[in-house]
Amino acid sequence: MKVLYNWLKEFVDVKASAAELRERLSLAGIAIDTIEETEAGPVLEADLTANRPDALGHRGFAREIAALERKRLKPLEIRLPEAVATPEPATSVTIDCPELCGRYTARVIRGVRVGPSPDWLKKRLEAIGQGSINNVVDVTNYVMYELGQPLHTFDYDRLGEHRIVVRRARPGETMRTLDGVERKLTREMCVIADASRPVALGGLMGGEESEITSASRNILLESAWFEPASIRRTSKALGLRTEASVRFGRGADPEMAEPASQRAAQLIVELAGGEILAGAVDAYPRPLEPLSIELSSTEIVRIMGAEVPGREAEAILAALGFEPERVPCESPHEIRWRCRRPSWRLDVAREIDLIEEVARHYGYDRFPSRLPPARQAASRLPHAATFDRLRERLIGLGYQEFIAVSLVDPARDETFRPVDAEPVRLANPLSEDASILRTSGVVSLMSALEWNLNRGQRNLRLFEIGRSYHLSPKGKPRETNTLTLGITGLAREKRVYPEEDQAREFGFEDLKGDLDSLGALCGGFAWHEGGPQWLEAGRAARLKLALDVVGAELGFAGLLARGVAEEWKLRQPVYLAELALDPMLEAAERAAGRRRFRPIPRLPGVERDFSLVVPEGTTFAQVREAVTAAGVAEVTAIDPVDRYRGGQVPAGKYSLLVRVRFESPEQTFTEEQLNDFTSRILASLEQTLGATLRAK
Amino acid sequence: MAEDLHIVEQTLEQLGAETPERVAALFAEVRADFDRAFGSVTDEASWHALRDGWLGRKKGVLRLITENWLKPAGPALKPAAGQGLNELRAYVEGKKFGAFTASATLVAEKLDLSLPGVERALGTRHLVRQTLEEIERIFLRLGYAVVGGPEIETPYYNFEALNMPEFHPARDMWDTFYVDTPPGTPSQLVLRTHTSPMQIRVMERQQPPVRVIVPGKVYRRDNPDASHLFMFHQIEGLAVDHDITFADFKGTIEFFVHEFLGKNAKTRLRPSYFPFTEPSAEVDATCIVCSGRGCRTCKQTGWLEIMGAGMVDPAVYGFVKYDAKKVSGFAFGMGVDRLAILKYGIDDIQVLLQNDVRFLRQSP
Ligand SMILES: [Zn+2]
Repeated sequence: MKVLYNWLKEFVDVKASAAELRERLSLAGIAIDTIEETEAGPVLEADLTANRPDALGHRGFAREIAALERKRLKPLEIRLPEAVATPEPATSVTIDCPELCGRYTARVIRGVRVGPSPDWLKKRLEAIGQGSINNVVDVTNYVMYELGQPLHTFDYDRLGEHRIVVRRARPGETMRTLDGVERKLTREMCVIADASRPVALGGLMGGEESEITSASRNILLESAWFEPASIRRTSKALGLRTEASVRFGRGADPEMAEPASQRAAQLIVELAGGEILAGAVDAYPRPLEPLSIELSSTEIVRIMGAEVPGREAEAILAALGFEPERVPCESPHEIRWRCRRPSWRLDVAREIDLIEEVARHYGYDRFPSRLPPARQAASRLPHAATFDRLRERLIGLGYQEFIAVSLVDPARDETFRPVDAEPVRLANPLSEDASILRTSGVVSLMSALEWNLNRGQRNLRLFEIGRSYHLSPKGKPRETNTLTLGITGLAREKRVYPEEDQAREFGFEDLKGDLDSLGALCGGFAWHEGGPQWLEAGRAARLKLALDVVGAELGFAGLLARGVAEEWKLRQPVYLAELALDPMLEAAERAAGRRRFRPIPRLPGVERDFSLVVPEGTTFAQVREAVTAAGVAEVTAIDPVDRYRGGQVPAGKYSLLVRVRFESPEQTFTEEQLNDFTSRILASLEQTLGATLRAK
Repeated sequence: MAEDLHIVEQTLEQLGAETPERVAALFAEVRADFDRAFGSVTDEASWHALRDGWLGRKKGVLRLITENWLKPAGPALKPAAGQGLNELRAYVEGKKFGAFTASATLVAEKLDLSLPGVERALGTRHLVRQTLEEIERIFLRLGYAVVGGPEIETPYYNFEALNMPEFHPARDMWDTFYVDTPPGTPSQLVLRTHTSPMQIRVMERQQPPVRVIVPGKVYRRDNPDASHLFMFHQIEGLAVDHDITFADFKGTIEFFVHEFLGKNAKTRLRPSYFPFTEPSAEVDATCIVCSGRGCRTCKQTGWLEIMGAGMVDPAVYGFVKYDAKKVSGFAFGMGVDRLAILKYGIDDIQVLLQNDVRFLRQSP
C-alpha cells in the first residue's frame, strides 16, 4: 500500500523523517520498499504481510507509528450532519446469508451533485496512485485509504424497490460488474441485490447498472463486513482482485463499518451537497464477540529467552489497542496481563500472538543470542557418503555436474519415457514445454547437450544426479533417483606435444570404461546386448549389477539413435547412459562391507602373450572362460591386448592377442612350469573355441 | 671460481685479522664464495674449472690458505686458522662435483614453460550442489540431521499442517503448481512450494529433541526472470526441544551467517509473517557486494534478505501432537540458488540451470 507521509500527521504526531520511519517500521515488521517524493509529500510503499489488513488504511498505519513511540492515536472525529426525516423509511436491508456477510450498513443521501473533486482530494488520491473519478466515488476511496474500510455507493434510483438484499447468488445468475465483465455467479458467492437482481458482488465490485453517474442525484452508501474466506474463494473463482477484496479477504474491522459510513456521508455532503435521510440501516446479525487473551511474562521468557520489562510490554500493548490490565498471579516474579482484542486485529487470538506484538515493538535486536547445545549426533542423508564416492569418481573422470529443471516438454520426454511410465502432469503449467515432470533423466541430459552444442561447445562430458517421476498405476507419485551421463565430441584433443598429436573422438568404449569405473564401486556391472529404441541397436547395452542374483536391470548405455539425434539436430555422435541409483548405492554399500584385502605377492609375476586366431563371433568373454577352464590356479589376470583382422588372418576369423599373468606367493616359476601352463591353456582354447596360435 | 677472492693471497696480518673471531669470519666469507660458485655451475667444463680452482695442488684456494693464512700465523691465531681450514676442506671435498651435470641435448631443446601442460579433463560439482553441501556442513557441525522428502506433496503437508487452511490469505505467498491427478485419485497433489512440509513429516515420526535440515528442490509458479526460477533449491531447518528460545534461534542464525558469509557479516532480524512461525522474522545479512555500504544489489540498504524464519507456531505442534506448552523451537528456510548467486556475483539466476559448460567449469 502507498502511504502518504503528510496524511499520517492527521492521526499521530510524526517527528521522524520518512527515511527514519522506513528504518524503524521495517524493524517493527512493517516493510517499506521505497520512498517516493511527490507533490503531496513523501509516499512510502509499504509491503504489508497478509496478517495485517488493519494497516491498509492511513489511520491503522499511523497506529504502528504511534506504537513506536508508545503513544496512542488521536481520536477519530466525525461530524455527521443531522439526518432529514422522511415519512417512509428510505431503504431496508435483509441479510439472507449472515455466514458470508456479518454486517451491512446503508445510508441514503438525497440530492447530491456528482462532479469533479476538489484539488486537495484529487492530489491526495493521485499521490497514492488512485485516479480521481468523481466527488462521490472519490470520497468512498478516500475513506477506504483513510480508515481501511471499503465502501460502495449505488445510484439509489436504480435499486429496485430501493432496498437491499444480501444473499447467495442463484444458480445460473449473472451480473455485469463495473469493469464491464459479465460474471457467472455461483451459490458460493455473496451478492448484494435489490428487490429482483444482483447489483454488486459483495465485497469485491459493484455492478454496472447501479453505478453512480453524473446524472445520479440520490445515492445509497454501503459499508459492510464480509467473511474473509468467502471473499477469497470468490476472488479466486472469478480471477478478480480489488482493493476491497484484498481488505475484506484479509479480514476488515467489523466495528469500522458504521464510523466509516458516517465519515463518508459527512464528506459527501460537504463536497457534493445533498442531505442525509434518516433511517440509516445497520444490520449486524453477528456482532464480533469480545475476546480476552491472557499474557504471562513467564511465557515471554519461555519463548523469547529473555524478559521484556513489564512496563514496556504494557506500553506497547496499550499503544496497539490491546488495553492490557494486570491480573493477580501467585508468583512474585511473574506478571500477568488480561488483554482485549481490538476489533481491527482479528489476527490476534492467542498468547503467542501477543508475544509477537510485544517482541516486534520491543525490538528483536534487544533479545540475546546463544548457540543451543547439540542433542544428537549429526547425520547426513542416507547414502550420502556413497553419493560422494560416486560423484568424486565422475568428476575425476572429467564429467561436469549439471542440474536441470524437472519440468519438461511432454513431447520431448516421450521419446525417452520408460515403458508403462505414466507421467506426472501439471494442472496449471506456466507453459506447455514445462508441463510434466520428467520421466527420465535423459530428456534433461539431451537438453543440456543441445544447449551446449548450439553454442559451439562440442566436447562434453556431463552428468546429473537427480530424480525422475511417474505415477503408479494407482495414481501414487513415485520419485526415483537417477544417474544420467553423456559424452560427445573429442575424448582427446590434439596438442602441441609430439606424443599427443592425435585428436580422438569418444567411442562406445569410453562410455563403457567410465561406467565400469563407477561399477567398480558396486561390485561391477554386467553388460548385456540390447536397449531402448532411442539407442542405436548396434551400439546399445543393458546394465545389471554383476553381484546381483536377482538381476534387475539398472539401466542402459549406448550411442544415441541417429533418428533421435536428427530430430534434436545434434550433428555429432552422442553416447549416453541412464542408471537407477538406489540399487547401485545399496550394492556399493554391500560391496564396501564385504571388501577384504588380498596380500600383495612377494614375488613378481610372469606374463605370457597368446597370439590367437579365433572364429568370427568369438567373444573375449569366451576366450577368458576357456583360459580359466584350463584350471591353472596361478592365473591372476587375462587381458586383451590387440585385435586384428585381414592380412594373413583367413576370412571368417580374427586374431586376438591375449596376455595372461601368472603369480605364485611361494616360488618363482621354472621354464617347465610355464610351458606346462601355456600348453594347458592352448589346449583348452583349441578344444572349446577352435582357437589356434597365429603363425609367427 | 675464486678469481675475485683476493683475500686468500694475503696473510692474516695483512688482512688485519687479530682475533680468532675475525679469522672465523674470513673463513665464512670464503665459504660463501664457494657456495655461490658451486650453485651457478652446470656444464662439465665449468665443473672442472671449479674443482681446480679450489682443490688444485698449486694454486687452489685451499693451498693458498695453507700458504698465506695458516703457515705465517702467530700462535694466537694458528689454532683458529687450522680449524677453519680443516672444516673448509671437509666441506669442499664433501661436495659432489659434476653429479648435477646437465644433459646438453635437453638444454639445447629449449623448454617453453609458457606452453600449457597436458591437463586431464576434470569435472566439477554444480555450484548449487557445492552451496548445498557448504550449508549442510555448517549445520552438521551443530548436530543437525539431514533429511530428504518428496517433491510431489499433498496440500495437507504443504499447507494445512503448516497452519494454512484452504483460502488462507497467506497461501498467496506461494504460487503453486497443482498435479493433474487422474479421476478417482483420493487426494490432490501439489509440487511442494517449500521444503517446510518435512517439518511436519519429521515431527510426526519422532519426539523432541529435533534438529534437522532439509535440502531439496521446490517449485513456484512464477514466471522466470533474472531473479526467479520456477524450480529452485531450498534448505529448511527445524530445531524443537524443551528449552529452545528466540535467543537460540538468533544464535544459530548468526553462527550460520558468520560461517557462510564470513566473520564480518552481520545479521539483522526483521519481524515478518509466516503462518507456521510466530514470532516470525526475515533474516538480513550484511550485503556481500558492498559490505553494507549500499549498492544496487541491496537497493542501497546495505542488507540482503537471506531467509525467512521464526519460532514454530504452536498451531503447528497441534498437527503433530506435540505439547505446545512444553516444547518450543524455531524453523528457517533459505533459497540456496539465491545464496549462490549472491555469494559468487552472478547477476542472472537462470544461468544456474541452463547448464552451459562455460558456466559449469567455473566452479572447480
Ligand atoms: Zn549492497
